[in-house]
Amino acid sequence: MTTAVLTNPYSVLVKRYFANPVHAGQLPDEYNNAVVSEVAESETGARVILYAVVDGDTVRMLRYQVFGCPHLIAAAEAFCDEAEGQPVSTLLELDVPGLMDKLTIPVEKTGRVLILEDAAKALHITVTGTKYSED
Amino acid sequence: MLSNNAELVYLDYAATTPVDPQVAEAMSAYLTVDGTFANPSSIHAAGRQSAAAVERAREQLAGLLNVSPHELIWTSGATESVNLGIIGAARFRSNRGKHLITMPTEHKAVTDTFQALEREGFEVTYLMPDRNGLLALDEFEAAIRDDTQLVSVMHVNNETGVIQDIRRIGECCRQRDILLHVDAAQSVGKLPTDLSVLPVDLLSLTAHKLYGPKGIGALYMADRPGCHVLPLFHGGGQERGLRPGTLPVHQIVGLGAAASLAKSRQVEDLVHLQGLEARLWSGIGNIPGILRNGSETESFPGILNVSIEGIEGESLMLALEPLCVGSGSACNSRNRESSTVLQALGRDDALAQSAIRFSFGRDTTNAEIDLAIGCYADAIVHLRAISPQQARTA
Repeated sequence: MTTAVLTNPYSVLVKRYFANPVHAGQLPDEYNNAVVSEVAESETGARVILYAVVDGDTVRMLRYQVFGCPHLIAAAEAFCDEAEGQPVSTLLELDVPGLMDKLTIPVEKTGRVLILEDAAKALHITVTGTKYSED
Repeated sequence: MLSNNAELVYLDYAATTPVDPQVAEAMSAYLTVDGTFANPSSIHAAGRQSAAAVERAREQLAGLLNVSPHELIWTSGATESVNLGIIGAARFRSNRGKHLITMPTEHKAVTDTFQALEREGFEVTYLMPDRNGLLALDEFEAAIRDDTQLVSVMHVNNETGVIQDIRRIGECCRQRDILLHVDAAQSVGKLPTDLSVLPVDLLSLTAHKLYGPKGIGALYMADRPGCHVLPLFHGGGQERGLRPGTLPVHQIVGLGAAASLAKSRQVEDLVHLQGLEARLWSGIGNIPGILRNGSETESFPGILNVSIEGIEGESLMLALEPLCVGSGSACNSRNRESSTVLQALGRDDALAQSAIRFSFGRDTTNAEIDLAIGCYADAIVHLRAISPQQARTA
């Protein structure tokens, strides 16, 4: 059993997003034209599902479901908060280092945020039918 | 409640207990120049007063265990007692055989000690428990060999609270002249432990699990033929040369006082713990997807360990931040080892990671249990609203 944490591993912002996940959950049934992407990682069991309602070139609504640590939940919440109302291309522009810096996510959790990045890219593919290069 | 952290609820008594005020008061008389601070090995009058305090404490602990005081050796805590008892006895009897038996669900102090002995050339059989965490006696008897010299089984599991049948395990050992070591860190002072009738040869305990100070423990070594340990440390000659080093009088006095207090309060404390455990389980046991880890019947009531389907462990710990509880999850992705104890009980990685160990004590109140129930239930609702994975049994 883990019974002690030497230092608080979560920033104020992570705790705030974790406690107030306003973009968490599925889209209401009325949005039957929503697009969905899902990415999971077998090693940690982490799983991210993104749901989007797209109107023309704009992401009107963005929701997520996450099975993962508080850092991943906070990252998903922060990303959805920023990407909602933005052009679809925003889904390709998730700034992993910037998001980790903003939320003070420790470097050992980089893999979790990359899952979110993969889910966002997969959502973009679904929306646009465009493939992207792995560079 | 933690008096200096009024917003926190301490439910981690299996990790450590607060020092009882009576114990702290007793200890304080053995620290400063106004008190009895002398080295108990000194032959002058002040030293003899310290030595007398050490022996009084030994008698107090012996009274709790119903053993002779000379069968107790002071150590720095349960980990050292375990090392001295297991390594010391295995080496002492190594000319008779080098086969040892234990369980993978033991505390790491035990399993790591056995691994160290494997590196010395001993052979260790690790017996898996059944799904309730209990040792199957028929499997145990089948694992015993002609060259088996030592068995180590814990009394109360520190994660699940499962109580092993020490009496029957000990009887099997006695019939075959095999030593039985028991890690009793979680049970001494909380469950009746009468070593005058239990067939136990070596028993490890620590003060800080029974409202005594950290840094002091003891090894019980039965005064019977073939039961002996070789020392791990050398120099000084204290404790008959088996555990040399200047004796920490105030710590020893603290353990003695804690033992004395535990003996007088044992029944009262146990009834209190039973009430707390029943209250907590009645409050959270109906949450969809909740699973109790360990035996429901053969279990120490001071520990309740639960897993929950569809909830990630690290997030659960953050959602439970007002509660000081034990967790099956790690907050560092590079250290995601699930509990070997829960894995041995058949829990998959996700369920083991979601495990929460509630452990209560003498000072825990019903109001704190009610706060814990509310906090846990709220955390599950919060995280299920985020998670794509729902309880299979919902």
